[in-house]
Amino acid sequence: MSSTENLNEAPKQKALTLRAIVNSAGIGLALLVLILFFALTTEHFLSPNNITNILTQITINLILAVGMTFVILIGGIDLSVGSVMAFAAVIAGKAITLPGLGTAELVLLACLAGLLAGLVCGILNGVLSAYWSLPSFIITLGMLNIARGAALQVSGAQTIYSFPYAFEEFGSQLIYGVPVVFLMALLLVAIAWFVLNRTVFGRLIYGIGNNEEAVRLAGHPVFWYKVAAFTICGLTAGIAAIVYMARLSIASPIAGIGFELNAIAAVIIGGTSLAGGRGSVIGTLLGAFIIGVLANGLILIGLSDFMRQMITGLVIIIAVVLDHYRARLSAS
Amino acid sequence: MAELSRSNDPAGTLLLDVQNLRKSFGGVHALSGVSFSLVSGEVHALVGENGAGKSTLIKVLSGVHTYDSGSMMLDGSPFEPTDPHFAKAAGIQVVHQEFNLLNDLSVAENISIEAFPKTSFGLLDRAEMKRRARTALDAIGLNDVNVNAPVSTLGIAHRQLVEIARALQSDSRILILDEPTATLTERETSRLFEIVAGIKAKGVTVVFVSHHLDEVFAICDRVTVFRNGQTITTEIITETSADGVVRHMVGRALAETGSSRATKPDSGDIVLSVKALRTQKSPHPEGVSFDLRRGEILGIAGLVGSGRTEVLRALFGADPQIAEQITLSGKPLSIKEPCNAIAAGIGFVTEDRKDEGLILAMEIAANTSLVSLRDVSARGLLNFAREKLMATQFGAQLKLKYGKVTDPASSLSGGNQQKVVLAKWLAQAPTILLLDEPTRGVDVGAKAEIYAILKDLAEKGMSMIVVSSELPELITLADRMLVMCENRIQGELSPDQYNQETILKLAYGQDGNSKAAIS
Repeated sequence: MSSTENLNEAPKQKALTLRAIVNSAGIGLALLVLILFFALTTEHFLSPNNITNILTQITINLILAVGMTFVILIGGIDLSVGSVMAFAAVIAGKAITLPGLGTAELVLLACLAGLLAGLVCGILNGVLSAYWSLPSFIITLGMLNIARGAALQVSGAQTIYSFPYAFEEFGSQLIYGVPVVFLMALLLVAIAWFVLNRTVFGRLIYGIGNNEEAVRLAGHPVFWYKVAAFTICGLTAGIAAIVYMARLSIASPIAGIGFELNAIAAVIIGGTSLAGGRGSVIGTLLGAFIIGVLANGLILIGLSDFMRQMITGLVIIIAVVLDHYRARLSAS
Repeated sequence: MAELSRSNDPAGTLLLDVQNLRKSFGGVHALSGVSFSLVSGEVHALVGENGAGKSTLIKVLSGVHTYDSGSMMLDGSPFEPTDPHFAKAAGIQVVHQEFNLLNDLSVAENISIEAFPKTSFGLLDRAEMKRRARTALDAIGLNDVNVNAPVSTLGIAHRQLVEIARALQSDSRILILDEPTATLTERETSRLFEIVAGIKAKGVTVVFVSHHLDEVFAICDRVTVFRNGQTITTEIITETSADGVVRHMVGRALAETGSSRATKPDSGDIVLSVKALRTQKSPHPEGVSFDLRRGEILGIAGLVGSGRTEVLRALFGADPQIAEQITLSGKPLSIKEPCNAIAAGIGFVTEDRKDEGLILAMEIAANTSLVSLRDVSARGLLNFAREKLMATQFGAQLKLKYGKVTDPASSLSGGNQQKVVLAKWLAQAPTILLLDEPTRGVDVGAKAEIYAILKDLAEKGMSMIVVSSELPELITLADRMLVMCENRIQGELSPDQYNQETILKLAYGQDGNSKAAIS
């Protein structure tokens, strides 16, 4: 009851991590079971080549899902990330195919252009939904169409290709069988974890998702924090665009259709509450793995792509139902 | 307001007879001995403070709650409504304070919502629905309302009247109006009164719940006074006065209790001076003006809805406001957002702990540091050790009972949650603390502790403005008291003038002298 004894306890960082682990344990366990299942039922699931494959396949979804985690934590949603990714890719593709510049300049220019395109879309999403307190569902649905249209308009509905060789090589580079782009995604997860758990900004992101009014009355500029969450999400769409270009060596205006749903699914399977305020980016990492492992494994055991879709859908529903019970459990 | 013809014979046929009605929710006695009767064709007022039991009685009468003991006789036979349909079938209709209308549907659809007319194919009979609505509206003289208009296009007054029309379309014998004039203008009120007179002339008995004694005296035949879940008395209007009714609401015994608090000399410097502060809701251009001295606890009394909370919220920048001038220690201060107020050293303990005060799912430590995150961080990085220390220190200072500072705030009892809210503001070391219902939902022991904490803080020089619906709380805490009525300051009292009767009179819009307001 009294407070003095608490001073000697383990510092809070550990308690936080412990709770995060307990919260993620269920998802982690599910992932482990999946991996075991596919390892036992298929010949090649755990082969180095296939692991490289899985890591490559989940990279883009993981990058998008990291940004999506911020938006869902404040109680919003961003339906536009797939289209914004395509728009950013087209802009970066235009930049990287400019004539008369050296490779280094071109790559730098393309990266900046792609990130800027994502950033601007994110800021627009944030400002429009936060200023009028409109549902981000609607605003980002609008942005989904705007960004897709812009991508088609800017590219003249043509796929852009023939990038510098060094850029294309970067997309398929491996370090001990691990794709460099996947390591980049992991770095993003680590940064996001740090920001969410160790900074005032992250604390208030959780606070806004839980009780926006309390945060506002505590004198914090809720509007800007919301804009920041959407901006981060737009920025990750820009990063995803660069990775996508480097990996596939093209910038297509029809890329990323439906990617927003996969990103949202990763976040939700990872245990982040759609109502906001509860969840973690570690969960998102595991969620992205579950989707990726399922996709890969189900094809390996010979199921059709249609069956894979059905099972992924089922997993999303199961995750949300489980989350419902977990929320009730922690509330009582 | 039109003076209405009163029944000359209050002892007409007895319609409803309620004897010694009791109802408890858990350990709370909402009704502890309610007795009153309705005579057919009368307009009967129910008055009393908030929480005196009027609303519970209405809910029992209309079948929302069942009662624990006592008896109700309707027309001489026992009446035990088990659900709202039962009460409606017996002819008891309620028009609630909050509207129960579907704003996007038409007037006609709203009026028929309880039982839509059907054609022989089982489809909605629109013609019949409109006909019924027209009849219902005409019956109370609402010829100017179009039955096809969506309810959202009507003004507040007309919505109220549509509800009354809906309530009256079936054969009602008792119409209960729960604070019907709360949102009406004077002209709309007199229209309502004409309609009530018309209803009464048709032989319907009207129960009228109101905080406005002048209205009670304008249209009612009898008045029943509630206090602490009991009926104190029923009087014939022509034989009593507003003073007499207020005295019954307060109770003689309580009226004697003065303040036990020593009067503070008016010596402190004025820290906050507010001139003509207006909220969006307030219709008065003169707004409210007051001064707050160093170390003073200023109480604001008044009925719910009198604008007390709005003054605090406006002062803190939580809601948009216009003020002629706010000065803090002599310097002009502009408050647009809560952060302006906080920067100026003003804290605000809100009325609603769960929705505005705490982030229940987050840690006690995180809640404590919410306003002063700058003090527990460096360059945007949180310093958890410092944050924990802050929570532990304030926990000890406020005698907070908790497990660990890393437990969620939801793990605490109401009183301890309130202490966390206090800690959150004290961590910012404010010079002025605004408190709205500081002990709502807090048990008696924790209440006393919170009072002691607040008095101690005032002793140390912190100034406070306390809004409360509990008069004993204000009498205990306040060095000076403002009483608000309808967004205005109706009076200012010093501790030697504190008694519940005076305060209530002011809160009910009377000037404290013995002027009965029969307009």
